[in-house]
Amino acid sequence: MDIIKVIAVGIITAICVVILKQVKPEMVIVTIIAGTIVILFLIMEAVGNIFGEYKYLLDKTGLNSGIFTSVLKVIGVGYLVEFAGDICNDAGVGSISQKILLAGKVLIIIMCLPVIKNLINIILEFIQ
Amino acid sequence: MGIEIILKIAAVGILTSVVNQVLKYCGKEEISTLTTLAGLIVVLVMVVNLISQLFNTVKSLFSL
Repeated sequence: MDIIKVIAVGIITAICVVILKQVKPEMVIVTIIAGTIVILFLIMEAVGNIFGEYKYLLDKTGLNSGIFTSVLKVIGVGYLVEFAGDICNDAGVGSISQKILLAGKVLIIIMCLPVIKNLINIILEFIQ
Repeated sequence: MGIEIILKIAAVGILTSVVNQVLKYCGKEEISTLTTLAGLIVVLVMVVNLISQLFNTVKSLFSL
Protein backbone atom coordinates (compact mmCIF):
# COMPACT_ATOMS: atom_id res chain seq x y z
CA MET A 1 0.00 0.00 0.00
CA ASP A 2 1.85 3.13 -1.10
CA ILE A 3 0.11 6.28 -0.10
CA ILE A 4 1.19 8.07 -3.27
CA LYS A 5 -0.95 5.74 -5.37
CA VAL A 6 -3.95 6.19 -3.11
CA ILE A 7 -3.66 9.97 -3.32
CA ALA A 8 -3.19 9.84 -7.10
CA VAL A 9 -6.28 7.66 -7.56
CA GLY A 10 -8.30 9.94 -5.30
CA ILE A 11 -7.34 13.13 -7.09
CA ILE A 12 -7.86 11.64 -10.56
CA THR A 13 -11.30 10.37 -9.54
CA ALA A 14 -12.18 13.81 -8.20
CA ILE A 15 -11.11 15.44 -11.47
CA CYS A 16 -13.08 12.91 -13.54
CA VAL A 17 -16.13 13.54 -11.36
CA VAL A 18 -15.86 17.31 -11.84
CA ILE A 19 -15.54 16.91 -15.62
CA LEU A 20 -18.39 14.42 -15.82
CA LYS A 21 -20.65 16.71 -13.76
CA GLN A 22 -20.60 19.12 -16.69
CA VAL A 23 -20.62 16.65 -19.52
CA LYS A 24 -22.61 13.63 -18.35
CA PRO A 25 -24.15 13.92 -14.83
CA GLU A 26 -25.43 10.30 -14.84
CA MET A 27 -21.87 8.94 -14.88
CA VAL A 28 -20.82 10.86 -11.75
CA ILE A 29 -22.03 8.33 -9.19
CA VAL A 30 -20.60 5.42 -11.17
CA THR A 31 -17.18 7.06 -11.30
CA ILE A 32 -17.31 7.70 -7.54
CA ILE A 33 -18.11 4.03 -6.93
CA ALA A 34 -15.24 2.90 -9.16
CA GLY A 35 -12.77 5.29 -7.53
CA THR A 36 -13.77 4.20 -4.02
CA ILE A 37 -13.42 0.54 -4.92
CA VAL A 38 -9.96 1.06 -6.43
CA ILE A 39 -8.80 2.80 -3.25
CA LEU A 40 -10.28 0.01 -1.11
CA PHE A 41 -8.40 -2.56 -3.18
CA LEU A 42 -5.15 -0.65 -2.62
CA ILE A 43 -5.80 -0.77 1.14
CA MET A 44 -6.98 -4.41 1.21
CA GLU A 45 -3.49 -5.88 1.10
CA ALA A 46 -2.33 -3.84 4.12
CA VAL A 47 -5.45 -4.85 6.06
CA GLY A 48 -4.64 -8.49 5.30
CA ASN A 49 -1.14 -8.07 6.76
CA ILE A 50 -2.52 -6.41 9.90
CA PHE A 51 -4.92 -9.27 10.53
CA GLY A 52 -2.15 -11.79 9.94
CA GLU A 53 -0.07 -10.11 12.65
CA TYR A 54 -3.00 -9.99 15.06
CA LYS A 55 -3.71 -13.67 14.53
CA TYR A 56 -0.06 -14.45 15.26
CA LEU A 57 -0.20 -12.41 18.48
CA LEU A 58 -3.50 -14.00 19.45
CA ASP A 59 -2.12 -17.51 19.03
CA LYS A 60 0.65 -16.56 21.41
CA THR A 61 -1.82 -15.48 24.10
CA GLY A 62 -3.74 -18.75 23.85
CA LEU A 63 -7.21 -17.22 23.67
CA ASN A 64 -9.73 -19.15 21.58
CA SER A 65 -9.81 -17.76 18.05
CA GLY A 66 -13.65 -17.58 18.03
CA ILE A 67 -13.50 -14.09 19.46
CA PHE A 68 -11.00 -12.97 16.83
CA THR A 69 -13.17 -14.20 13.95
CA SER A 70 -16.15 -12.30 15.32
CA VAL A 71 -13.99 -9.17 15.60
CA LEU A 72 -13.00 -9.72 11.97
CA LYS A 73 -16.64 -10.10 10.96
CA VAL A 74 -17.62 -6.90 12.76
CA ILE A 75 -14.83 -4.96 11.08
CA GLY A 76 -15.77 -6.41 7.69
CA VAL A 77 -19.42 -5.44 8.11
CA GLY A 78 -18.41 -1.97 9.25
CA TYR A 79 -16.05 -1.68 6.27
CA LEU A 80 -18.75 -2.52 3.72
CA VAL A 81 -21.58 -0.60 5.38
CA GLU A 82 -19.52 2.57 5.52
CA PHE A 83 -18.53 2.07 1.86
CA ALA A 84 -22.18 1.77 0.76
CA GLY A 85 -23.39 4.53 3.09
CA ASP A 86 -20.88 7.06 1.81
CA ILE A 87 -21.73 6.28 -1.80
CA CYS A 88 -25.43 6.79 -1.11
CA ASN A 89 -24.54 10.08 0.58
CA ASP A 90 -22.62 11.19 -2.49
CA ALA A 91 -25.52 10.21 -4.70
CA GLY A 92 -27.64 12.62 -2.65
CA VAL A 93 -29.90 10.04 -0.99
CA GLY A 94 -28.92 10.64 2.65
CA SER A 95 -31.94 8.75 3.98
CA ILE A 96 -30.93 5.48 2.28
CA SER A 97 -27.41 5.89 3.64
CA GLN A 98 -28.82 6.23 7.16
CA LYS A 99 -30.90 3.06 6.66
CA ILE A 100 -27.82 1.14 5.51
CA LEU A 101 -25.90 2.33 8.57
CA LEU A 102 -28.81 1.28 10.79
CA ALA A 103 -28.85 -2.17 9.21
CA GLY A 104 -25.10 -2.43 9.75
CA LYS A 105 -25.44 -1.53 13.43
CA VAL A 106 -28.17 -4.11 13.92
CA LEU A 107 -26.07 -6.77 12.24
CA ILE A 108 -23.03 -5.90 14.38
CA ILE A 109 -25.10 -6.16 17.56
CA ILE A 110 -26.31 -9.59 16.47
CA MET A 111 -22.74 -10.67 15.78
CA CYS A 112 -21.58 -9.49 19.20
CA LEU A 113 -24.24 -11.36 21.18
CA PRO A 114 -22.24 -14.63 21.53
CA VAL A 115 -19.20 -12.74 22.78
CA ILE A 116 -21.31 -10.93 25.38
CA LYS A 117 -22.80 -14.23 26.49
CA ASN A 118 -19.29 -15.65 26.97
CA LEU A 119 -18.34 -12.62 29.04
CA ILE A 120 -21.39 -12.94 31.27
CA ASN A 121 -20.77 -16.66 31.82
CA ILE A 122 -17.15 -16.00 32.76
CA ILE A 123 -18.19 -13.31 35.24
CA LEU A 124 -20.85 -15.57 36.77
CA GLU A 125 -18.27 -18.30 37.26
CA PHE A 126 -16.08 -15.87 39.17
CA ILE A 127 -18.97 -14.82 41.43
CA GLN A 128 -20.13 -18.35 42.32
CA MET B 1 -6.32 -2.49 -10.46
CA GLY B 2 -5.46 1.13 -10.81
CA ILE B 3 -6.63 4.29 -12.41
CA GLU B 4 -7.28 2.76 -15.82
CA ILE B 5 -10.78 1.67 -14.81
CA ILE B 6 -11.65 5.20 -13.71
CA LEU B 7 -10.22 6.76 -16.85
CA LYS B 8 -12.14 4.21 -18.94
CA ILE B 9 -15.42 5.20 -17.29
CA ALA B 10 -14.72 8.90 -17.74
CA ALA B 11 -13.80 8.30 -21.39
CA VAL B 12 -17.07 6.43 -22.02
CA GLY B 13 -18.98 9.29 -20.41
CA ILE B 14 -17.32 11.97 -22.48
CA LEU B 15 -17.62 9.89 -25.68
CA THR B 16 -21.34 9.37 -25.09
CA SER B 17 -21.93 13.08 -24.67
CA VAL B 18 -19.94 13.85 -27.85
CA VAL B 19 -21.99 11.31 -29.79
CA ASN B 20 -25.14 12.88 -28.39
CA GLN B 21 -24.08 16.33 -29.54
CA VAL B 22 -23.41 14.99 -33.06
CA LEU B 23 -26.74 13.16 -33.16
CA LYS B 24 -28.55 16.29 -31.93
CA TYR B 25 -26.85 18.25 -34.69
CA CYS B 26 -28.04 15.72 -37.30
CA GLY B 27 -31.55 15.98 -35.92
CA LYS B 28 -31.76 12.37 -34.64
CA GLU B 29 -32.93 13.21 -31.09
CA GLU B 30 -34.39 9.80 -30.25
CA ILE B 31 -31.18 7.93 -31.06
CA SER B 32 -29.19 10.18 -28.71
CA THR B 33 -31.21 8.99 -25.71
CA LEU B 34 -30.45 5.40 -26.75
CA THR B 35 -26.74 6.18 -26.95
CA THR B 36 -26.83 7.63 -23.45
CA LEU B 37 -28.52 4.46 -22.24
CA ALA B 38 -25.98 2.26 -23.99
CA GLY B 39 -23.06 4.20 -22.54
CA LEU B 40 -24.54 3.97 -19.07
CA ILE B 41 -25.12 0.22 -19.38
CA VAL B 42 -21.53 -0.40 -20.53
CA VAL B 43 -20.21 1.53 -17.54
CA LEU B 44 -22.62 -0.17 -15.16
CA VAL B 45 -21.44 -3.60 -16.31
CA MET B 46 -17.84 -2.58 -15.64
CA VAL B 47 -18.70 -1.28 -12.18
CA VAL B 48 -20.78 -4.32 -11.29
CA ASN B 49 -17.79 -6.54 -12.06
CA LEU B 50 -15.65 -4.30 -9.86
CA ILE B 51 -18.15 -4.46 -7.00
CA SER B 52 -18.39 -8.26 -7.17
CA GLN B 53 -14.59 -8.46 -7.09
CA LEU B 54 -14.56 -6.21 -4.02
CA PHE B 55 -17.21 -8.27 -2.22
CA ASN B 56 -15.37 -11.53 -2.92
CA THR B 57 -12.12 -10.07 -1.60
CA VAL B 58 -13.78 -8.71 1.51
CA LYS B 59 -15.58 -11.99 2.11
CA SER B 60 -12.36 -13.95 1.89
CA LEU B 61 -10.34 -11.46 3.92
CA PHE B 62 -12.80 -10.90 6.79
CA SER B 63 -14.10 -14.49 6.69
CA LEU B 64 -17.66 -13.12 6.57
